[in-house]
Amino acid sequence: MKKIILLLLIAVTGISYANIKVVATTTVIYDLVKEIGKDKVMVDFIARGDQDPHFIDVLPSYMIKLRNADILFRIGMGLEMWSDQLIDGSRNSNLKVIDLSSNIQKKEVPNFKPDASYGDVHPFGNPHYWMDPENARIMAKEIYKALSSESNRDESYFKKNLDNYLSELEKKIIEWKSKMAPVQGKPIIFFHASWIYFAERYGIITSGFVEPKPGISPSPSHNAELVQLIKSKGIKIIVMENYYSDSAPNQLARLAGIKVVKVPTAVYGVRGINSYIEMMDYIINQIVQNIL
Amino acid sequence: MNKLIFTVLIIILSAANFYSQSSINPDISLIGRFNTFTNFIKGTSEYGKLNFADPEMELFVDGYLNPFAKAAANLAYEENVLGVEELYGHIVRGLPFDMQIKAGKFLVGFGKLNTVHPHAWAFMHRPLFHQVFFGEGGFNDVGINFSFLLPTGDLFTTLDLGVFKGNSVSALTDPNAVDRGINPLIAGRLGSFISLDDYTNLEVGLSSSFGIFSKGNINSSGNIFADPEQKSFNYFYGGIDFKFKYSPDAYTILTIQGEGLLNNRDALGLAGTGFNSYREIVQKITNSGAFLYADYKFEKQFSLGIKYDYTAGIAGDTPNFYSLANDDKNSTQGIEAWFSYYPAEETTVLRLGVQHLSFNYADGTNRDGETTIKLQFMFSLGPHKAHPF
Repeated sequence: MKKIILLLLIAVTGISYANIKVVATTTVIYDLVKEIGKDKVMVDFIARGDQDPHFIDVLPSYMIKLRNADILFRIGMGLEMWSDQLIDGSRNSNLKVIDLSSNIQKKEVPNFKPDASYGDVHPFGNPHYWMDPENARIMAKEIYKALSSESNRDESYFKKNLDNYLSELEKKIIEWKSKMAPVQGKPIIFFHASWIYFAERYGIITSGFVEPKPGISPSPSHNAELVQLIKSKGIKIIVMENYYSDSAPNQLARLAGIKVVKVPTAVYGVRGINSYIEMMDYIINQIVQNIL
Repeated sequence: MNKLIFTVLIIILSAANFYSQSSINPDISLIGRFNTFTNFIKGTSEYGKLNFADPEMELFVDGYLNPFAKAAANLAYEENVLGVEELYGHIVRGLPFDMQIKAGKFLVGFGKLNTVHPHAWAFMHRPLFHQVFFGEGGFNDVGINFSFLLPTGDLFTTLDLGVFKGNSVSALTDPNAVDRGINPLIAGRLGSFISLDDYTNLEVGLSSSFGIFSKGNINSSGNIFADPEQKSFNYFYGGIDFKFKYSPDAYTILTIQGEGLLNNRDALGLAGTGFNSYREIVQKITNSGAFLYADYKFEKQFSLGIKYDYTAGIAGDTPNFYSLANDDKNSTQGIEAWFSYYPAEETTVLRLGVQHLSFNYADGTNRDGETTIKLQFMFSLGPHKAHPF
């Protein structure tokens, strides 16, 4: 009898349950889906926050995640080359694959025939667009559209969540802009070419990269050039993703007397970073504290 | 009018060609391999010298045929011979029961390693039992494979069942052997993968293959003037495999992998002694083979590893009714060690390795061990994708 009453209560009060199964290739997407889908969506991710999203092992356990999913959200632009094999391995013919880059203003799209002599150049442009918070807004809207299309009856629920999230994000965007204002025009060396969107948003001068070419390991001769560059330009910090080895940047820092700022570029990249907003807070605070 | 039709046709063909060039071209990749080696095998011309092997190449072409199916071809150029290593179509989704179907010529899913192309192996020498029981090219056959994903929750469990022509397991070099005719063989594998934690993964598998590997004319009557009768020779392979991988960060990977094979088959034997009692018989033999290796990748660019090999039979012998897979008397053991350097990701590999083989003959034959030192340079050109776990 109690069970029947409970079931009736659920029916009457409309207590919701997750009805869309989503997999996100990265934890940044995972966080945005959680914000917009909330309890109407069951979401999981593939690349952990402390992993390089370019290189993810094609594990059957990820295929299991995709097997029963309705939607796979991915960054696109060739970042997750591994995702096609997971999709095939999942054998899920009903899976919708949503590329969140479709409405992004893409940067560094090669106007030449890219080949491996340029390193890991992405032929469709630089895919690290989530590092610009303005692009997080676009991603959130794409996620809202896909979820609404999957479950029309929840459209207004998703819209409300989207609006709430965008409102919160807007406040943070203003705060981040204000914090980063003193950094504008300052030169920084980055480890990998994944900071173009971030640097342009905040007017940072990208003076160089620890990697001689995207995806190519640092070399002693390149390090020597960077030491000269650091001294001549008065560069104060090297900013790097925390999943790369810091031995070359640390060596540079010792030689040139500057600091290495190691930050996560994904949610859960370090303990305590549990959302996109917390991640951006952390990155911006670290840069501001160390460069000024 | 003809000119107009011709012009329109040219425009349509041009448009079609443009479309195909831009939208549906398959991926094309090329793997090149170049080996230099020296050995310490007495009596060989290579002994102690720097030898240059002819370069080897694999050309991969693969892509989607439609939203449900893919196709792939792998042309291999080895020992100055160009051959079709693989050529198959693969329906990957849309079939009932989450089934996938692969048809054509391809590496058979017996064990874990056999389906992985040699360029993706951590080591340089094919496991000895592969050479003895499958041949130099591994278990590669023409057939059709059905793959099912079993409902085992968080375990990724697949059941593969295939029917194959049987080229890989037959040996026709013996004068007694005759064409095995149309006698497809069966091969299958039950494999299960589990993530032990965020950094540790394990896959275990059980494989089996059976069928007629050959036919032979034998005289079992004891009368040397009697006509021989044709007999079928059956085999059964049972296999067990595992792969363990621990990767705590992007620069450190420990891989431990092993496989074992149990072979039970008909073999030609002799019964009786002397001129009048001489009889050929079909007898059952049982033997086995196995390998175990560990590869430790440290930093981003270096790895080192070691492999132990054991197989029944004498690796390198010519297959016939009396040797290799039919040999339950003699055996070969091998130890291989290697150091690999990946200058830029995995597009180029420099590998230095040493393999030592030792032979055990039941009749007491004394044969020196064989040591080979090899330096390998390998490159990968194009979008050839990483092999799944």
